[in-house]
Amino acid sequence: MTDTLQIRPEAAAAPKPAIPLPTAAARAVTAAGAVLTAAAAFLSWTYSSQFPGDLTVTGYPGGLQWITFTGGLLTLLYLLVGYGTPGLRGLAPGGAEGTTVILAVGAAATTWFTLIAISVELGGLANLTTGGWIAGIASLLAVVGALGLPRDGQHPRGHGLGVLLYPGKRPDLRPARPLHAAVEVVAVLLTLAAALGVFAYGVDTSYPELFAGFLILAGFAAWALNRSGDFGRLGEIMQRHRVLASVGAFVAAGLFPFTQTSSNAEANANLGVSILIFAATALGLNIVVGLAGLLDLGYVAFLGVGAYTAALVSGAAGTAFNVQIPFWAAALLGAAVSGIFGVLLGAPTLRVRGDYLAIVTLGFGEIFRIVVQNLDGTSGPNVTNGAIGISNVPDLNIFGFDFGSAHDFGPFSIGRFANYFELMLLFTAIIVLVFARSADSRIGRAWVAIREDETAATAMGINGFRFKLLAFALGATLAGLAGTVFVHVNYSIVPDTFQFAGPTPPNSAFLLAAVVIGGMGTVSGPLVGASLFFLLQAKLSFLHDYQLLLFGITLILFMRFRPEGIIPNRRRQLEFHESQTEGGQEGPTPELRTAEA
Amino acid sequence: MTDTTTATVDNAPAPGTPLLQASNVVMRFGGLTAVNDVSLTVNSGEIIGLIGPNGAGKTTFFNCLTGLYVPTEGTVTYQGKTLPPKPHKVTQAGMARTFQNIRLFHNMTVLENVLVGRHTRTKEGLISAILRGPGYRREEAESRAKAMEYLDFVGLANKAGTLARNLPYGEQRKLEVARALASEPGLLLLDEPTAGMNPQETRATEELVFAVRDRGVAVLVIEHDMRFIFNLCDRVAVLVQGQKLVEGDAATVQGDERVVAAYLGTPYEGNADSTTPEENQ
Amino acid sequence: MHELPQNLVNGLLLGATYGLIAVGYTIVYGIVQLINFAHGEIFMTGAFGALSVYLGLGSGTSMWIAIPLMLIGAIVTSTVIAVLTERLAYRPLRNAPRLAPLITAIGVSITLQQLVWGFYPSAKSPRVFPSLPGGPFHIGGVLIQSADIFVVVAAVISTLFLAYFVRSTRTGRAMQATAQDPDTAKLMGINTDRVIVIAFALGAGFAGIAGVAWGLRYGEIKFDMGFLTGLYAFTAAVLGGIGNIYGAMLGGLVLGLVQNLTAIYIADIPGMSQFSSQSWSSVWAFVILILVLMVRPQGLLGERVADRA
Repeated sequence: MTDTLQIRPEAAAAPKPAIPLPTAAARAVTAAGAVLTAAAAFLSWTYSSQFPGDLTVTGYPGGLQWITFTGGLLTLLYLLVGYGTPGLRGLAPGGAEGTTVILAVGAAATTWFTLIAISVELGGLANLTTGGWIAGIASLLAVVGALGLPRDGQHPRGHGLGVLLYPGKRPDLRPARPLHAAVEVVAVLLTLAAALGVFAYGVDTSYPELFAGFLILAGFAAWALNRSGDFGRLGEIMQRHRVLASVGAFVAAGLFPFTQTSSNAEANANLGVSILIFAATALGLNIVVGLAGLLDLGYVAFLGVGAYTAALVSGAAGTAFNVQIPFWAAALLGAAVSGIFGVLLGAPTLRVRGDYLAIVTLGFGEIFRIVVQNLDGTSGPNVTNGAIGISNVPDLNIFGFDFGSAHDFGPFSIGRFANYFELMLLFTAIIVLVFARSADSRIGRAWVAIREDETAATAMGINGFRFKLLAFALGATLAGLAGTVFVHVNYSIVPDTFQFAGPTPPNSAFLLAAVVIGGMGTVSGPLVGASLFFLLQAKLSFLHDYQLLLFGITLILFMRFRPEGIIPNRRRQLEFHESQTEGGQEGPTPELRTAEA
Repeated sequence: MTDTTTATVDNAPAPGTPLLQASNVVMRFGGLTAVNDVSLTVNSGEIIGLIGPNGAGKTTFFNCLTGLYVPTEGTVTYQGKTLPPKPHKVTQAGMARTFQNIRLFHNMTVLENVLVGRHTRTKEGLISAILRGPGYRREEAESRAKAMEYLDFVGLANKAGTLARNLPYGEQRKLEVARALASEPGLLLLDEPTAGMNPQETRATEELVFAVRDRGVAVLVIEHDMRFIFNLCDRVAVLVQGQKLVEGDAATVQGDERVVAAYLGTPYEGNADSTTPEENQ
Repeated sequence: MHELPQNLVNGLLLGATYGLIAVGYTIVYGIVQLINFAHGEIFMTGAFGALSVYLGLGSGTSMWIAIPLMLIGAIVTSTVIAVLTERLAYRPLRNAPRLAPLITAIGVSITLQQLVWGFYPSAKSPRVFPSLPGGPFHIGGVLIQSADIFVVVAAVISTLFLAYFVRSTRTGRAMQATAQDPDTAKLMGINTDRVIVIAFALGAGFAGIAGVAWGLRYGEIKFDMGFLTGLYAFTAAVLGGIGNIYGAMLGGLVLGLVQNLTAIYIADIPGMSQFSSQSWSSVWAFVILILVLMVRPQGLLGERVADRA
């Protein structure tokens, strides 16, 4: 645990724990704290059932208490892993002590969040019962104990993030020996089931306090599992069973509507399908931004082109052409029209410096909205019905399957939004496939080469302009495709949906943030980023006024401290932290410079 | 340098026939004439050197050959056809290059770098990449096999999975050569391949260049290192102040007193054009 | 067509305002190759800075005293914010891949907008801006407000000042050197960090003046007025040739004219009468941008930047 021989020069020997306790005592304190925290979830925390979730019942935890309970148990679990409990040892290849610290802090954070929320909403600390105080103190006790545990992991010196680095960084893991195939398959399936469960729970949270508590614990748990090396190991296993993992992921996602049985089922399915549309669009943008390195700031306009195209041929009343074509044709048409707009916009712009694209696309995004608004019969010919938009877009009916009404599958009733959820999942699968396969091909390599060094790429025979245009047009096409579903889900479409930045997705800034903060150049990054952003704005409605502000600040902070995003691309991570990895080139070419070449 | 059976490349003609012909190339930037009436022929199977003091216009001339600049006057032909003034078309035509300041795709693996080099010799498009039909799989497998072969040729096969930026300097140079060779050129242009190398690495580069020639690829190399050039080249052209001073075999060039003067410098001369655009890169 | 002179004047006035903002884009781009998306918001904060000064002065103050103080308020606000964003947001990313500072700039833009929207007193709806006394004047059938005279004077003085500064001061020459080649400039002993800060500050100062001009002309200011205006100003910078300060002014004037003249002339083209209203003028500005990029990507006064090997 206290290696004096460190291979990496910047990693000093593991420093001493923050609280000087004998290791055995520290373990005992942590264990006591964690057990007590979990147990306290069964006590009553407040007198009044006014606080959502009803935390007044002793013996049966409500809402936020379940979160605290989970936090306590997770802390205990990794404490036992660190203690060397047989059968658990493999759970933390990257070190259990740092993981325990993170989880203990996470459990305390959700507990105290709950206590503070109770006090604030009900007016004062007097609203807390003994049970609440026990939970709060127990969770702090676990933190105190955890801070006395010996420290493992790597502790790079001289970093600006201070206290966040206390748990240390995960040491580089050597690839593990593959487990028995059956075990690995079970691990993959369990992971997918767990992911579905966590996601479904998060979507189903019915009041902001619960969602916030959930998010706090989920955030800490994700950090902990990354620190423990479990995510890394799971990633290796997924990589070995790639087909199972990806098919399984889509099956799991397809099961999502079936997990929603509460009275909110339709609302949750609506949330689900909106997330999918948003995520699929973000993935299309990821081709443009993440692979080819082109900044598109008006991407939502392409979603709009697809959506308007589909609406115009849907037979909706009040449109210029009174035609109705089958949905498959409308989807292809929407994608194609959007792709054509991509070419029209990209062709003049992509020949010149890359930065100009950013501003031209930003302009296009605005112009699209203005034009659509003006095509109302007064300011211009009537095509789109102007600012009022196109309403009463009919529900889809594919092979006699009416998307507008509920259908029964055995004990499950699948409603309108759930129908669209499954349809959009299919579209998302197509977009994922297009992204993954084009990324790992001659085409994708050409894109990355252009992003890395356009002059060198050209010298290798790559027609830079053509491939940039291809990426740009492909991105536009995929957004158009997503747009065709979007318009049917929402019944109607208005120009104001397609802004650069606004409090509700989809808008170009949110899409870009989903890609950038999720992780550029990856499949899962935009999916995670989009889900997170969408849920945040949908669930934390009390933040509505400050949403964009927080959003802007988040962008700045991410670029400063974690530019590779939540889910880093292996290449990307190296690229952004080149100055910190030893042996990196001296990097005389600040890549700003490549922009002008 | 394992010997590989594919010694000659498809588009390399019989030795001795003219491959690259630059005739009376003039390149002006505003009032400045960086290259003045330079002619140069590279025959297949040859290693040609291009030397000259700093600012002599070597890189500008080089850029005229590789399509980065369109010569103000004169023509450049490759295998009898005028070269299109687009770098990617030049590569397509059969001329590949390396860069003075190594320009690898740093965040791609070694193998991926060479695969990018295969770009002009592969043709599968977006649709087939998405559908992954048998044709696509065959081409991709073939491409990977070829790429590994080139890596093997330069001695980097065991580093295929490493990120290019993590290679040591000498190996980055080798990777650049492998990447250029992957486009199956008839002529390889090397821009100061030994810049920043120690004598040992320079020796290794020499051998690599000979090995490239033995595969049937002609080489045109720009260098400062005299010994390297004279060991290596069949013919050497000397560029001074934008003009070709002399051309001939090593002995001829070494014996020419104008070359000596140009290099050792005569007072108040030779600095006049030190501000040619090539200094700006 | 008696409207023509009036439209010409209006176009030039609008264009001069664009030009003042475009200068900021062009200076910063010339030196660090960053499109500072937040520059439109710098312009907006300048206007709000001036408004704050005006409100602080009390209602009895003569506009002749208020205007200089408001200008100072605008310039100080804009400059302080621009320098702070440079220091806190952009500088740490100086050597990052080029997407990073661009995305940061978007973040800064949204943040500034939202800060004003959320925290400036009653800025959620447009705020009334004071107007200049005197006028309007009729000169040869053209109606000119006193605010218009302010715009002309401000634009001319600013441009002359900038020309003097860049050409004749030590700092100005250091800026030119840094724009040419930052590495060499550094080797020559130029403090490039300082030059970059000055570039941001200078651009912000002009944006602040533009903010006052905007407020005086339109009588109200709004938290999101910097977004589209910034977009037009950037278009002006590209139009004139990015990196060239005179180009920025010229581009602004051309763009202003285009926006005003399309409003009356498009209607003369058969079948286009519907596209002549004011709401289409931004579309025509955008079309102009695309056309310029196609025909003359280096802009009106820009130099062709040769590909570098």
